[in-house]
Amino acid sequence: MFGDEVYHLGVYLRKRRGVYPGETWNQMFFMGYRSYPIVCLLLFLVGVTISITSAEQLRMFGAEVYIADLVGYAMLRELVPLMTGVILAGKVGAAITAELASMTVLEEVDALRTMGLVPEKFLMVPRLLAITLVVPLLVAMADVAGILGGIVVARVTFGMLPSAFLGQMVNSVDWTDFAWGLVKTVVFGWAIVVGSGFKGLTVGRSAEEVGRATTESVVLSITMIIIIDCIFAFVLY
Amino acid sequence: MDIIGARSLTVGYGRTEVLRDLSFAIPEGRITVVLGVSGSGKSTLLKTLAGLLPPLGGAFDFAGAPVDYGSEASLRRLYDRIGVLYQGGALLNGLSLFENVALPVRMHYPDLPEDIVRDMVQAGLAQVEMAEAAAKYPAELSGGMRKRGALARALVLDPAVVFCDEPSSGLDPITSSLLDDLLLRLKTTFGMTLVVVTHELRSIERIADEVLVIDGGGLRFSGGADRLAASDDAFVRTFFLKRDSHDDA
Repeated sequence: MFGDEVYHLGVYLRKRRGVYPGETWNQMFFMGYRSYPIVCLLLFLVGVTISITSAEQLRMFGAEVYIADLVGYAMLRELVPLMTGVILAGKVGAAITAELASMTVLEEVDALRTMGLVPEKFLMVPRLLAITLVVPLLVAMADVAGILGGIVVARVTFGMLPSAFLGQMVNSVDWTDFAWGLVKTVVFGWAIVVGSGFKGLTVGRSAEEVGRATTESVVLSITMIIIIDCIFAFVLY
Repeated sequence: MDIIGARSLTVGYGRTEVLRDLSFAIPEGRITVVLGVSGSGKSTLLKTLAGLLPPLGGAFDFAGAPVDYGSEASLRRLYDRIGVLYQGGALLNGLSLFENVALPVRMHYPDLPEDIVRDMVQAGLAQVEMAEAAAKYPAELSGGMRKRGALARALVLDPAVVFCDEPSSGLDPITSSLLDDLLLRLKTTFGMTLVVVTHELRSIERIADEVLVIDGGGLRFSGGADRLAASDDAFVRTFFLKRDSHDDA
């Protein structure tokens, strides 16, 4: 299905046909605007948590100043992509499966097919485009939120000024860390959309299967995210 | 002239055969009713004829050309010439009725000027007496209105055949009768071919020109509605006798 979706996306970008006008914007609104508060809140808390747990260890070695390096590197490279992926799997992936599975059960997908449309294109391409466009913004906001969490803890625990924190952090991380985090999250997003869409479009014909497919899609998405993350770890480190 | 011709058609899901070895013809410009008890495979047959479920055996022609499920072009030719009214209407909930009816027009003719799209949609909605509900969303419509709206969507590109899956299901007798009137009008006014799946005997009596009766995994009767009463098939006789006894009661 992944290959099919890449093909449909390519055909759409070339011909700009077969997708309902405005649907990509609707999906971007749902995936981005409706997701950023929870993504930012959770990543801020993750930033706080990782700073608190590592602060004590760093203090034992007199290496408090490296909290900025640790938070910056961990957030940009690993925690923001992973946590954003998991949040999107629970929020966006589950919604995609529930919506498409309901459409399948209510014969709306069959209706699209007999109208001469390709449901795998009509329904999936706007979602793929939306996740691709929305993820960079989400990642940027989540990075800021996570680092902010670290800054708060560093200020409260060590009395470290935010400017010192940021100065120390930019010595150890660079734009490639942000870029790799971004690439990883986009790949996670694609895996979530394709996996959730597949679950939704291949559901059976009863209402109870909608619930089952939704649960399975979240598990599938998180599993794929962790496997892909593992592959990235082997490639990048 | 026959618009659909089936030869030894076997339909079902996976390896499960629901209907076996069906051979029949559906004539152009008439209403053919597919009749059978619940679970007999009426909707399964309709799905196969509408290009949604590959046959497990046999073949069928549409407008003189064989339908090849392995060929995307063949299925596309079929989809271009049919409209389907689904049991629940199957209108897209996120779109207004107007946008639902406009959807096939916009997707098939993306360069069509907006005023022509609007005229086509309004004409389609007027045909089913739903012009005043164009701005409403499916959730705001009654069951009968949803079906009429879905019928407008099925008709908007002027298909050669309209398949209707249980159009009366879930409707009160008055709304059901109005829908039957609508189907009859499509035939008499526009010469449209309709294939209607139902088990509502009242509807059959009013609208059927031709009848296919299916039961027990096979075809029990195929022919003119006027010949149905004279059938000596035990199932057909029981089906109608039961109706008679209900009516008497």
